[in-house]
Amino acid sequence: MNERMAPRGPDGSGDWFSPDGRVGFTHRRLAIIDLSERGAQPMHSADGKLTITFNGEIYNYRELRAELERKGHVFRTETDTEVLLQLYADRGPAMVEALRGMFAFGLWDAARRSLLLARDPLGIKPLYYADDGWTVRFASQAKALLAGGAVSRDPEPAGIVGFHLFGNVPEPFTVWQSIRSLPAGCTMTVDATGPDLPAPYYRVADALGRRAARPCALADARSRLSAAVHESVRYHLVADVPVAVFLSAGLDSGALLGTMAELGVRDISAVTLSFEEFRGTANDETPLAAEVAARYGARHIVRTVNRAEFERDLPALLDAMDLPTIDGINTWFVSKAAHEAGIKVALSGLGADECFGGYPSFRELPRFVHALAPLRVLPGAGALVRRVLAAGVGSAIGLHPKAAGILEYGGSWAGAYLLRRGVLMPWELAGPLDADIVEEGLRRLVPLGRTEDELKADSPLGDFDRVAALETALYMRNQLLRDSDWAGMAHSIEIRVPYVDPFFLASLPPGDILAAAGAKAAIADVPQPPLPEPLRNRAKTGFATPVGHWIREAAGPGGGTSFSAASRAWMRRVWQAGWTGAGMA
Amino acid sequence: MSRPPRLLALLTDGYGAQGGIARYNQDLFDALADAGAECFIAPRHGDASGVVLPRGVTQEAPAFGRLRYVARCLLAARRHRPFDAVFCGHVYMVPLAWMLARLLGARLWLQAHGAEVLEVPGALSRRAVEAADLVTVVSRATRHTLLSWASLAPERVRVLPDTVRDMFEPGPPSEALRSRLGFGPGPVLLTVGRLSSAERYKGHEQVFAALPALRARFPTLVHVVAGDGDDRARLEARAAELAGESAAVRFVGYIPEADLPDLYRSADLYVMPSTKEGFGIVYLEAAACGLRVVGGVGGGSGDAVPGEQIGVLVDSGDGKALEQAIVRLLAMGRADPEAVAPYRRDRFATAAKRLLSRLMAHPRRMKGQHEFS
Repeated sequence: MNERMAPRGPDGSGDWFSPDGRVGFTHRRLAIIDLSERGAQPMHSADGKLTITFNGEIYNYRELRAELERKGHVFRTETDTEVLLQLYADRGPAMVEALRGMFAFGLWDAARRSLLLARDPLGIKPLYYADDGWTVRFASQAKALLAGGAVSRDPEPAGIVGFHLFGNVPEPFTVWQSIRSLPAGCTMTVDATGPDLPAPYYRVADALGRRAARPCALADARSRLSAAVHESVRYHLVADVPVAVFLSAGLDSGALLGTMAELGVRDISAVTLSFEEFRGTANDETPLAAEVAARYGARHIVRTVNRAEFERDLPALLDAMDLPTIDGINTWFVSKAAHEAGIKVALSGLGADECFGGYPSFRELPRFVHALAPLRVLPGAGALVRRVLAAGVGSAIGLHPKAAGILEYGGSWAGAYLLRRGVLMPWELAGPLDADIVEEGLRRLVPLGRTEDELKADSPLGDFDRVAALETALYMRNQLLRDSDWAGMAHSIEIRVPYVDPFFLASLPPGDILAAAGAKAAIADVPQPPLPEPLRNRAKTGFATPVGHWIREAAGPGGGTSFSAASRAWMRRVWQAGWTGAGMA
Repeated sequence: MSRPPRLLALLTDGYGAQGGIARYNQDLFDALADAGAECFIAPRHGDASGVVLPRGVTQEAPAFGRLRYVARCLLAARRHRPFDAVFCGHVYMVPLAWMLARLLGARLWLQAHGAEVLEVPGALSRRAVEAADLVTVVSRATRHTLLSWASLAPERVRVLPDTVRDMFEPGPPSEALRSRLGFGPGPVLLTVGRLSSAERYKGHEQVFAALPALRARFPTLVHVVAGDGDDRARLEARAAELAGESAAVRFVGYIPEADLPDLYRSADLYVMPSTKEGFGIVYLEAAACGLRVVGGVGGGSGDAVPGEQIGVLVDSGDGKALEQAIVRLLAMGRADPEAVAPYRRDRFATAAKRLLSRLMAHPRRMKGQHEFS
């Protein structure tokens, strides 16, 4: 297991076993805070009763440490890891609520003979576990659990169906029955009785509901947004190594660089991907990114990628891919470039679209739901239309396969979300998958029920917050964050995401105010000086990278021409790499 | 909690009944009563009159007929409510237990023994299993199988293995038994089990086939086959065919349970390359008496023979591996009976009590609540 995770931590490796041999931790270290040997893990408390293996960063560890020191705790290292140990000693499992950061850890309490597993609120750092009824194994990668050789590779239909519906595997499932993901914002206690049910301590919908209940004047929205970004970036700079930034021609990453510079960070490295195919076209992000880098005095690293390199890297990429996904390729290459430049830590603009309403779904979902919900009074009409269209009428008149389901699914939030984000529709699964897997997978996954569940909140949510809740708790968590983790860590790069932070989320104005204030565009004015004018006017390129073309070609014949067709073809290619059953992964 | 937890238990075999499942249930309810629970048992089999029940346990008269049994359960539920949990001792009765749990506003605790979860049950039973708050199973293999068809948080499915009774403990070999059964100087390989045509997976014939090679190395080695059944004549013929010499295999017939410890103590190695044991309690009984074990890969045996302290599991189709394992383990001498400690009654009782307190620590599952974690 340890060896499989070597790229995640090239700076150190450690093992620990409890005196009775019943508990063991192994750890790979990527040294970022307190680079000395004292920061090595697994780490023990001074009295030896607590032991931790920890992946991630705690950005407010200095404040927590000061607070604990006031209470009389004595520290032996400068690490955030030790703060976790002492905070647990002070507060027990409830400690997780005080943590600002990204984390997944296992903490053994020898006195209580109990193991606490915990994962950060939004799911930046992964944590997988396998419980066979006797032994519990946990790791930052599902494939590390398989590498140990003792965990079954029997397929999990819910995960397989989830991948084919959404292009990612929805937690808590993986594609293996024996391996589960500890859901984001949950802790789990393991004692002599085995693992207890995951205990949620944070839910996105509830957090958005609480935020909506706090009033904010429209006039103050932009200044609050700016203050929130400044504060989050400041926290995300905590490190004993230089912090770089992944820079595209978009506003989100530019605002991060500008804010870093404004906060006084010097000699910032900014890494931009350039594609040979795009050189000299409007799709080339390099010129605008260079302008942003120049404005804030950053060292601009432009890394050109071409199709030959993509094909060369493909086997390694598929091997590093921890769960099947249709994304992660850009992150793979930008992390590779960062590693070549000697970078260990980089900020990424991931999550801004979820916060500020940057996706088309923020417009389309409410429109669908409000227009089509009244039609739901006709029971069965939607399903009938879908059957007729899916039976061939739709393709005969040139409709996209998803169009067949608009009447049936478009009138509910979960259904409309499935239409918007889905790669294949439920009625298309019988093509690539066995009927048994489809039936059992849909039964276990309950895709609409699970999606609907992410909207349940203590107080009712407005339209903006509903879409934000779905995009944050599903797409961002299961796709973007998971892919960032494996693709970044494969190159020993820690990707930090200042826009993905519950403290940041809570300090933003409520969703409807953000929408009214034009939050997405307002990002350009967050740093002083603001982002260059041409960036504001640039249309979002979205997926206009040649990766789409390579994917289509790598996927083989039948790739089609649109991005949607490309992602379907790429999905087939990824799935055919082989995941479940003997000798796979 | 202000009052002790109250359980309504639907059991196939209660106090006063015989057999493995009855014994498991009795161990369990002894432990739960000891933990302070008040248990009301409605058995299909088992007459508790004349049995001293643990304090806190009440058992209804047995009712085998289906309708009679449902009526008995409904009456008991009404008479003795409130209940915090309904315990169901067999997947076969889970729809009834689920309905009672819903009526009573109680948690559902299901016990599965092995064979009954190999096939996916009917839709109603499957939904009832998936509504359980806690499922206990006897082995990891049973757990894996159940989770392959039941959409249930895996944390709810816990392993609570069968126990080895205290009568199985080390002791000197019984010379009387050895001479009565004609063991000779040995070494003695022992297999205990029914000789049933329905249970040919136990692997007797694979052992017979290994005997010529083994006797070339140990000329006085014998294979003692204890047990009786409809397959005995056929097995005797196969033994003559495969083992070469008639002296190599001794069929000693049915051995009463009370004599089993002496039988184990008088042998040198327990050999049964079975492929389908639900759990393999017989391996543990042998080990508890000091015998090392050569078992077979497949079924739940991995839980009874998890490591070298007790023995090894071999692929029953691999004759060479079987022969080598026998030679190697014979050289290792007696097993350390401490290896069986995790399967003793006291450990079982502690585990059962912990499961009860975890069950009570969670609110019961609500109707229509998706099992999303």
